[in-house]
Amino acid sequence: MNWTDYSIYMILSSGLWILALIILVLPRKVKVIPDIFLLGGVVSIVIFTIGLWLNLERPPFRTLAETRLWYAIFISLIGIIIYYRWKLLWMLAYSLLMAILFLFINYMNPDTFDKTLMPALRSPWFIPHVIVYIIGYAFLAVSSLMGLKGLYLMYRNKSTDKTIKLADNIVYIGFAFLTFGLLFGALWAKEAWGHYWTWDPKETWAFLTWLVYLLYIHFRVNKRKYVKSSLWILSLAFVVLLICWFGINYLPSAQNSVHVYS
Amino acid sequence: MRRRFWEYPWGYRESFTIGIVLLFLGFFIELVSPVDAIYLPRWPFNFILILVLIAYIYISYRMVKHPFMKWLSSVPAAISSISLFTILVLLLGFIPQTDESGGSLLVDLGLTHVTRSWPYILLSFYLLIILGYTTVRRSFPLNLKNFAFFLNHAGLWIVIVAASLGSSDLRRLNMTLQENQAVFRAYDGEGRAYQLPFAIKLLDFHIKEYPPSIGLVDKNTGQFAIDEMGQLIAVEKGLNTEFGQWEINIDEYYESGFPDSTGYTESERVGAPPVVHMRVRNTITDEIKAGWLTSGSFIVPNKFMHLSDRWAIAMRVPAPMEYSSEIRFFTSMKEYEDITIKVNKPAKINGWTLYQTGYDERMGKWSQVSIVEIVKDPWLPVVYVGIFMMLLGSLYLVWMGRTTKKTENELD
Repeated sequence: MNWTDYSIYMILSSGLWILALIILVLPRKVKVIPDIFLLGGVVSIVIFTIGLWLNLERPPFRTLAETRLWYAIFISLIGIIIYYRWKLLWMLAYSLLMAILFLFINYMNPDTFDKTLMPALRSPWFIPHVIVYIIGYAFLAVSSLMGLKGLYLMYRNKSTDKTIKLADNIVYIGFAFLTFGLLFGALWAKEAWGHYWTWDPKETWAFLTWLVYLLYIHFRVNKRKYVKSSLWILSLAFVVLLICWFGINYLPSAQNSVHVYS
Repeated sequence: MRRRFWEYPWGYRESFTIGIVLLFLGFFIELVSPVDAIYLPRWPFNFILILVLIAYIYISYRMVKHPFMKWLSSVPAAISSISLFTILVLLLGFIPQTDESGGSLLVDLGLTHVTRSWPYILLSFYLLIILGYTTVRRSFPLNLKNFAFFLNHAGLWIVIVAASLGSSDLRRLNMTLQENQAVFRAYDGEGRAYQLPFAIKLLDFHIKEYPPSIGLVDKNTGQFAIDEMGQLIAVEKGLNTEFGQWEINIDEYYESGFPDSTGYTESERVGAPPVVHMRVRNTITDEIKAGWLTSGSFIVPNKFMHLSDRWAIAMRVPAPMEYSSEIRFFTSMKEYEDITIKVNKPAKINGWTLYQTGYDERMGKWSQVSIVEIVKDPWLPVVYVGIFMMLLGSLYLVWMGRTTKKTENELD
């Protein structure tokens, strides 16, 4: 199996996932079928990846296109697991659409099949490091939206109980993934650069993001108090997250970062 | 009735007052202290300090029943320590960290070397004390929920302690190796030399490269115009492609070639760069050009082809895929062991870990120099224990979220 067979598997996976999402959005509850479709989509792309592996006679971790296959597999898988655990349909939709996007980029840019990775990125930690951040950032971004929604509800004098309760859960999950990202990054850095923590600007800002959400979590220990401040922290935490995500390239303190890509 | 300031139980006012006093005390010591940067105690004193800290926290928590002890593991104390620590890290995130000494107020306040400054040390200590007492308080009774709490909090405590107090025992030294020369001297980040109890000889240095690529260069900027005129294209023999209005046909490709009287010939000489011969047709004017193209090397000049007033076609120096050093590690004059190190694949030997960090980039794949970093970090296993505790604790968070009762588990 090689890249010429790719389109069949890509279409099968994307199609099954989109069908499953449509069925789940429908008002009538359908059992078992969406489960089969969700898993079928993963299985299809896993079969292609295994086939590619056997054909190449090496693990497919070498090119950007191969990396995207793994993103698609793991993001969809984690999205499905979280969906079964937490019943968050938007999260399932987000992870499946991200997975489809990665599959689709491979389809649209066949010339990147050979586009290869620089030495420092050729590590088993690369894929898990990126995946947990994609998921963690998504949760935290949504939690900030919840924060804004809560502030709006408060402004309209409506109850924020349900919103902030949901936001709490989402922050816990997103925070856990952020922790994974930081720690995977540390373990990788040890292998690649000799030390697990060097206060690289991206590290510093990821740590700052982590600290701000840590503050939120502790602020919420006593649930009834300070709801408004909590909502503000949640909304503003997103600014720190954005600096970490995009803004880092423009900071004067970040000019020698290993994470600044040009 | 409103509680008076400093009346127990302490809340946010008292907690933040203590934190802010510590922060300014730190700035004050930093200003008046003649020493620029702080160095923490080394083995075994750091180890003793850690044991004393753990014993002190545990015993004082169990023995002393005073509202102050309760405050030490309270939420306001945690919030104040995290907030003030966050402010310091924010400064660290905005102010470029340098080794400059003296001069500006930023330097004198320690803000250009935050992680070695007094405010940072004092606030870290504050954080560690609060985190320590919190961990001890929630360790009893040890059910599943408290266990996850313990993993997250104790894990973080262990990571901070081992990474900060252990950093004084960390040795990171650089060595520049020449092929076939034994070296037993290494240098730290500040350029101090160290005599090593072993010697290292570079047997061979290797670079694997990606195939070279060609693309259009904007003569005004000298840059490859990747966005405007399509991507860089990997070279292969027989390749047909288009850049803007130009159609390119590569009819010859040598992985390494050398100039001669007629053009270039295939050659295995040191410094022989990749070479292609190609035909270019201007699809608007139908004009055809043919010629050689090479990225060049340290002895062969690079060669490109002019297409118009603005555009030229050029070959980019091949990017390294992987580089590695074969190294002979001498533990004595006669005993040695051969190892290979690559980027992302360090090797451990005699308590040291050897990392491939660089080479002579001017010489590219013909470099006979390899730069390696040797690292000894005796506290690493302890840091890893903390990291894995936090990973396990986070798994619990993903699965349980913020739940207090079983019935609350499901979300809408």
